[in-house]
Amino acid sequence: MCSIGEDDFGDDGATHAMPPGSFPMGTVISSSGSCNKCGINSNALYKLNFRAAECQDCFLNYARHKFRAALGAAKALPRNAEVLLLIDGSAESLVLLDMLHFAQTQNTFKRLHCNARVLYVDVRSSSDPLPSLLALQTRYAPFQFNIVQLGAAPTNVCLLENYNVINNNGEQKPLRTLTARQDYEQQQRKALIGAVAAQMQCSHVFEPSISTTLATQLLTSVALGRGGSVALDVALLDDRLPNGIKLLRPLKDLNEQEVQFYVHAQKLQPFAKVDQELSSHASLQNLTRAFVANLQENYASTVSTVFRTGDKMAINQQASGEIHSTCQLCQSVLDSELSDTLLAIEYSRTVSEMGAALQHNQENVATLEQCARQRLTSTDNLCHACRNIKAELSSGSLM
Amino acid sequence: MPIDCKAKCGNRATLKRPKTGDALCKDCFFAAFEAEIHHTITSSNLFRRGEKVAVAASGGKDSTVLAHVLKLLNERHDYGLDLVLLSIDEGITGYRDDSLETVKQNRDDYKMPLKILSYEELYGWTMDRIVAQIGRSNNCTFCGVFRRQALDRGAKLLGVDSIATGHNADDIAETVLMNILRGDTARLRRCTDIRTGGSEDSIARVKPLKYSYEKEIVMYAHYKKLVYFSTECVFAPNAYRGHARAFLKDLEKVRPSVIMDIIYSGEQLRFKDTVKKPVRGICERCGFVSSQQPCKACVLLEGLNRGLPKLGIGKKSKGDRMIAKQNQELALRERANLVKNDF
Repeated sequence: MCSIGEDDFGDDGATHAMPPGSFPMGTVISSSGSCNKCGINSNALYKLNFRAAECQDCFLNYARHKFRAALGAAKALPRNAEVLLLIDGSAESLVLLDMLHFAQTQNTFKRLHCNARVLYVDVRSSSDPLPSLLALQTRYAPFQFNIVQLGAAPTNVCLLENYNVINNNGEQKPLRTLTARQDYEQQQRKALIGAVAAQMQCSHVFEPSISTTLATQLLTSVALGRGGSVALDVALLDDRLPNGIKLLRPLKDLNEQEVQFYVHAQKLQPFAKVDQELSSHASLQNLTRAFVANLQENYASTVSTVFRTGDKMAINQQASGEIHSTCQLCQSVLDSELSDTLLAIEYSRTVSEMGAALQHNQENVATLEQCARQRLTSTDNLCHACRNIKAELSSGSLM
Repeated sequence: MPIDCKAKCGNRATLKRPKTGDALCKDCFFAAFEAEIHHTITSSNLFRRGEKVAVAASGGKDSTVLAHVLKLLNERHDYGLDLVLLSIDEGITGYRDDSLETVKQNRDDYKMPLKILSYEELYGWTMDRIVAQIGRSNNCTFCGVFRRQALDRGAKLLGVDSIATGHNADDIAETVLMNILRGDTARLRRCTDIRTGGSEDSIARVKPLKYSYEKEIVMYAHYKKLVYFSTECVFAPNAYRGHARAFLKDLEKVRPSVIMDIIYSGEQLRFKDTVKKPVRGICERCGFVSSQQPCKACVLLEGLNRGLPKLGIGKKSKGDRMIAKQNQELALRERANLVKNDF
């Protein structure tokens, strides 16, 4: 038949409602006029897509409300919780820091009751983050700023002033592809954050992901074979960290434009670009990021549609049957044994080794399947996606 | 340096399997490819002995390989199936008329009976005429919706137990991505199923090539010298799906296993209990399976016949307003005895 699938059509598909390029990103902040919300004349008006132009105060209220509402509606943060706020120098992390600081300086009635400390995970990029971090520490007093190096032991976490770089570059795992390296690094980073949070006795961690990052994360996770746990990768609350520590994403409803405007309004100075390691074709993660950014330019509702799809997802709890064992590396529920698709991959490998001999001795399907099943059931306690990382390891062990 | 076949048959390898990365000779590749499809059919219980199965044939690579392999496996493993070819003639000059010649060639080569159903006889419209009405945009909606129902109608006419379609692993992975991009949770739930339908009111559809890579299907057809038709449709392709397809091809270049990984992810996705599930019913007008009243095919057809081709495109409320407006105008003119109204 025709090369496009018949599944393309139906009432609930939203593509026909997406006019290409009708809402270009980065609508400018217009010069002056009266605010549509409070009516007061202002010399800088903020015009978001799908919203009337408003003055700076009204815009800030609106953006900050999204942050408070995400936490409040889900009742995700108990009163006086110990919070560890992650910053990485990106615009969104500074927005989160600024919003949290503002929420803490409000009067008693509106105040967000929690005790926050800040953590910067040093990934040893080319530029030195310390000057920028020290400036932030001064601006956002009395927040305590901590720093830890990726790959170091969690006990090495310290205050900015006491920080010394440890040279341990030999620690990197010998993974053949950038895809596996990035995936592994992401899991390692999360494990380190969990351990540091435990060390600092924080029960909650704030991650500065916005809807664009989460939409990209959703597609990346699907491409990596993490479908069973993708719901947690993009949810407000992710409880896969050790010791019952909860990862929260309070900025999940903000979009790129709102972040840009907020940065402009509060004169924030982001000091790290999103890591654009090598070209966009170098790994699944880079490819997906470029794909989402590109599609968003032409179809303005891409990110919000994908992000909302993620909102409807739940974790696959039936995956491991009654025993709730989790993956050693990513702490997701183990899934691989029951899948027909994974069995089909192993079956392919088995019959590839048999080749034409299959026809002569008419090997029993059941015997071959048994053989494939054996390959699938290993006792390494890794989920399918983490096994993919392991398969790219040229020497040593993953853990 | 020449590489030996991984199966240790003594031959030199002629190809590298995209799916596993194994270097194989031609004969070992054929054996492995066929054995996998046999395994898919038996382990998922796609067919039962004595069943009559329609192979949805377009003359393209997927359906040609599907027809070839099903016939071969049916004889080799004695499935006891009665296989027939079922083709839909959408009425696209310069495309479907040529590909149907290929299907007729398959009919003669594989000695399988062939039934061709045309949009013209089913709906009174050819795609050529539909495109003349609606233009190049949205015409794929008509073609896709009508084809789905046309296959059901054809299957009913032939009295078959199931329809085998040539959807391959790439198609399914692409559909998973596509449905995420569109936020279509209803289709996300079922797009990875190897078998859909099959209750008392509908005919089952099965995808025996679900785990076969498109590249391997092309290799198989090429080395087996199968006759297939490989021209793109003359009408504009679906641009949005094109993005998803190009994305998947890029991903595959970086990590070939990504296709199976995406299918696997698609199968593992679960949704919150609060997410609405569509209920499958029967269209009151035509009696075919649908989740809406009336079914999409009936709405599109009504639009064409009323001279309102945009009726089934976009929101239902918009379509309702269009009908109401037309009815009102007709009533006015009827009162003036200007026209006779019979759709």
